[in-house]
Amino acid sequence: MDAGEILVWIVWIGAVTALFASGLAVVLFQNPFYSALSLIVNLASLAVLFLLLSAEFVAAAQVLVYAGAVVVMFLFVTAYLGGRADAPWAGGPTLQRLFAVGAAAAIAIEVVVAISLAAGDRLTDPAEVDEAFGSPAEIGRLFVSDHLLAFEATSIVLLIAAVGGVILGTTAPRRARAEGGEEVPQR
Amino acid sequence: MDVAAWIALFSPAVGVAAITLLGHRITGAQAGILASGSVLVSFAASVVAFVLLTGRAEEERSETSTLWTWLSAGDLEVGFEVLVDPLSVFMMLVVSGVGFLILGYATGYMRGDAEERRYHAYKALFVFSMLLLVQGGNLLLLLAGWGMVGLSSYLLINFWHERPTAVAAGKKAFVMNAFGDATFVLALFILFAQTGALSFAPVFERAPEALGESTTLSVLVALGLLGGAVAKSAQIPLHTWLPDAMEGPTPVSALIHAATMVTAGVYLIARTAPLFELAPAIHDLAAILGGVTIVVAGLIALVQTDIKRVIAYSTMSQIGYMFLAVGLGAYGAGMFHLMTHAFFKALLFMAAGVVIHALAGEQDIRRMGGLGRELPWTTRLFVIGALALAAIPPFAGFFSKDAVLASAANAGVLGWLLWTLGAIGAFLTALYTFRLVFVVFGPPITDFAREHLHRERFEGPLAMMWPVAVLGVLSIVGGLIQIPGVWHLVDDWLHPVVESVEEAHGWVAWFSALVALGLALAGIALAWLLWGRRSDVPERVRAGAPWLAAAPERKFWFDEAYDGVFAWPVRMLATSLGRFVERPLFLDPLGGLGTGMRGLSGRLGAVQTGGVRLYVLMLALGLAVLTVVFLAVS
Amino acid sequence: MMGPGIASYLVVSVILFGIGAFGVLIRRSPLIVLLALEIMLNAGNLALLAFARQFGDGSGQIFALTVMVVAASEAVIGLGLIVAMSRLRVELDVDKLTTLRG
Repeated sequence: MDAGEILVWIVWIGAVTALFASGLAVVLFQNPFYSALSLIVNLASLAVLFLLLSAEFVAAAQVLVYAGAVVVMFLFVTAYLGGRADAPWAGGPTLQRLFAVGAAAAIAIEVVVAISLAAGDRLTDPAEVDEAFGSPAEIGRLFVSDHLLAFEATSIVLLIAAVGGVILGTTAPRRARAEGGEEVPQR
Repeated sequence: MDVAAWIALFSPAVGVAAITLLGHRITGAQAGILASGSVLVSFAASVVAFVLLTGRAEEERSETSTLWTWLSAGDLEVGFEVLVDPLSVFMMLVVSGVGFLILGYATGYMRGDAEERRYHAYKALFVFSMLLLVQGGNLLLLLAGWGMVGLSSYLLINFWHERPTAVAAGKKAFVMNAFGDATFVLALFILFAQTGALSFAPVFERAPEALGESTTLSVLVALGLLGGAVAKSAQIPLHTWLPDAMEGPTPVSALIHAATMVTAGVYLIARTAPLFELAPAIHDLAAILGGVTIVVAGLIALVQTDIKRVIAYSTMSQIGYMFLAVGLGAYGAGMFHLMTHAFFKALLFMAAGVVIHALAGEQDIRRMGGLGRELPWTTRLFVIGALALAAIPPFAGFFSKDAVLASAANAGVLGWLLWTLGAIGAFLTALYTFRLVFVVFGPPITDFAREHLHRERFEGPLAMMWPVAVLGVLSIVGGLIQIPGVWHLVDDWLHPVVESVEEAHGWVAWFSALVALGLALAGIALAWLLWGRRSDVPERVRAGAPWLAAAPERKFWFDEAYDGVFAWPVRMLATSLGRFVERPLFLDPLGGLGTGMRGLSGRLGAVQTGGVRLYVLMLALGLAVLTVVFLAVS
Repeated sequence: MMGPGIASYLVVSVILFGIGAFGVLIRRSPLIVLLALEIMLNAGNLALLAFARQFGDGSGQIFALTVMVVAASEAVIGLGLIVAMSRLRVELDVDKLTTLRG
C-alpha cells in the first residue's frame, strides 16, 4: 500500500462514518430542523464518496441540486411549519418499532447476500477507465446519444412537478376559505 | 268414422286451448259455453261414430287409426292411435253425453265464481283426458289419459285452493292415485318386456304364450293393473280419497267422481280382460274387492251427515257392483251398470247441488228438512234418482243391478258368496238413500232451511235444472236396453270385444231378482220408519250401542290406519333426516363456512387501518420475505 | 488508485438504505419521513455509481442523475402536500391520516 492508497482509505472511512452518523441523526432527531441540517452533512459525505467513484459530475450535481435546492426547500417548509413539524416519539419500543427494525435489517442483509451470490466473483477488479469517465462532457454525450429518451423524460417530469407544486400551493387556501375555517382532521 | 273419433277426442282439447288463449277477453259464462259446446261437439261425433259402427258387420267393428308414430324402434311401433270399437264407443257416448250435461249444469252452478274460466277449462281438459283414456289405441295412450285424468281430478278437487281442506283433499287423491299408477306402470313394464308391444291387439295375441296362465308374471301383470283400477275407482283398500274429494265443486263430484273417472278402473278391467283371464286368482280378487266395498261403503254411507259424502260412498258402493261384475267376467253387466249409474248418480249429485245452491252452500243434512214442499221438482228428480239407485223397477238401476246379481248367481260358489254381499248391498243402498230422501226432503222444515232458502224461478238456475231433468228421463228409461232374460243389447254390443259370461236363467234368475227387490223395498220401509216419521230410534240406537255406530262413523279406521302405517313413518323419517343428517352434514357446515368467512374477513379487515406506516411496514416485511424465497429458489 | 473494493461500497449503500427504511417506518412526522426517503434514494444512487465504476459503464451515472431528478420532483410534491395539509389544519401525523382505511 502506497501513500495514495492510504489516503484513499482514510478519506473513505471518514466519509462513511460521517455518512452513517448523519443518516442516523436525520432519522433520530426530534427537531426537524436538526434533521434537515444533518441531511446536508449526509449529502456532502455522499458527494465525497461519489468523487472516489470517479463520478465527478454527479458529485457536483448532488451538492448543487440536493444540498443546494432540495434541502433548502426542506428548511423553508420546516420554518413555515414551525412547531407543527414536530411529532412526538411517543413511548418506548412498540411491536411496530421492533418489526420496523427487523424489516430494515432483514432487507439489508438479504440484499447483500443476493448481490454476493449473483455477482460475487465479478466484484473484485474494477474496470480500467480513462480520464473522461464521469466528466461533464461524457455525461452530456451520453445524454444526447444513448439516453436521449431519459433526458427528455426527465425534463417532462420536472415540468409536471413544477406545475403540481404550484397547484398545491395555490388551491388549498381557497378551499379552506370556502369551507369556512377549521377543517377537521380526516379519519 | 275415424275422423269422427278424432274430432270427438280433440274437440274438448280445442275448447281448453281456446279458453286458455282467450284468457281475460272472455267472461266466465262464455268460457262455460265454449267448454260445454266443445263437449257437445264431441258427443255428436261420438254418436256419428256409433252409428257408423253399427253399420258394419260385427267382426269388422274394430278400427285403429294412427295420427302419427311416436316411437319406432325395431318392430316396436307406438303411435298416437285411437281405437274405435264397441267398448270404446260405448264409453265415449257415456263420457261425452253425461259430460255435456254436467258441463251445462256447471255453467249455472259456477256462475259468479271468481275463477270461473279456469274451472271450465279444467273441466274440458278432464273430458279430453277421459276420452284419451277410453279411445287410446295402445296401453301407452291409455296410461297417458289415465295420468291426465288424475291430474284434472287433482286440479278440480282443489279448485278453491284457498281452502286448506280442499288442498289436502286434492293431494290425498293425487297421491293415492299415484300409487295405483305406479302399480299400473309396473304391469306395463312386464307386459312390454314379455310381449314386446304396447298396442292392444298384439299384446292380447302374444300374452298367453308370453305370460302363460296363472304364472307369477301373469299374476303380477294383473295385480298391477288391478292396483291401478282400485286406486282410480276408489275401491277398498285405496278408497279413502273419494269422500275427501267432495271438497270440489258439486259438478266436479258429479262428473269425475260419479260418472266418469272412477269408472275408468272398470273400463280398464274390461279392456284388458284377456290379461285378467290369464290370472283367474286376480280376476276373482277384483270381484271380491268389489263385493267387500259394496258392503263397507254402504255401512259408512248410513251414518254420514254431509249430503255429498253420502252420495260419494254410494258411488263407491255401486262401483263395487261393477267390479263384482267384471271380476266375474260379466263385462256386459258391468258396463251396463256403469252407464245407468252414470245417469242416476250424476242426477243425484246435481240435484243435491241444486239443494246446496238453494241453501247457500250448506251441505249438512241435519240442517235440512222439508225441502220437498219448497223445491218440488228438485225433490221429484232426486227421488227418481234414488229409486234408480235403489234398483226399483222400472227405473234404470233395477235392470243393471239385476244383471250383475244374476251373473253372480251363475258363477259358482264364489259367485253366490258375492251375490250375498250384493244383496246385502241392495238393502243398505235403499236404506241410506232413502234416509237421505226423508231427512232432506221430508217434513218438517228446519229453521235453518226456513231462513236460508232462496228459490229461483225454476227452483234453481235454468242452466242447472234442464240437465237434471234430462238425466231424470234417462234414469227412467235407460235401463230398458238390457233386460235380463229378454234381451241383452249391451252384452251383444260388446261381444266383439269381450265375451261376457252367461247369466243365470230360469228360476235362479227370478229368485235373485225378487230377493233383491224385496230387500230394497224393505230398506225403503225401514228408512221410512226411522227417518220418514222423524222417530228417535236412530238416536236411541246410537246412545244404547255406541260401538255399533263407531265403526261406520270412523270409516272403519282406514284413514287412521293409513296415517299410522304410511304417513307417520314417512314424517318421522323426514324430520329425523332433517335433524340428524341434513342439519349436521349440510346446513351447519355451510352456515359455518359463511360465519367463518365473515369472521376471517373481519379479522383481516383490521389490517386496513388506513395508516401509511403500517402499510409501508407490510411492504418492507413482504419484500424481506419474498427476497428470501427468491434466493432460496434460485 | 486502489481503495476499498466495490463490495464495500455496496455494503455501505445497503446499510444506508436500511437506515433510511428504518426512518420511514419509525417516524410519524411526514416531513421527517420525506427526509428519510431522500436518504434511501441516495443510497440507491451510491449503488448505481459503484456498479458504473466497476464495469466502466457511464449509463449508471446517467441513471443516477435521473434518480436525482425524480427525487427532487417527488420532494417538491411531497412538501407541497405537507404545506397544503398544514394550511387546512390537518394534523401532521402519519398515523392519523387514515383515509385509505378499507
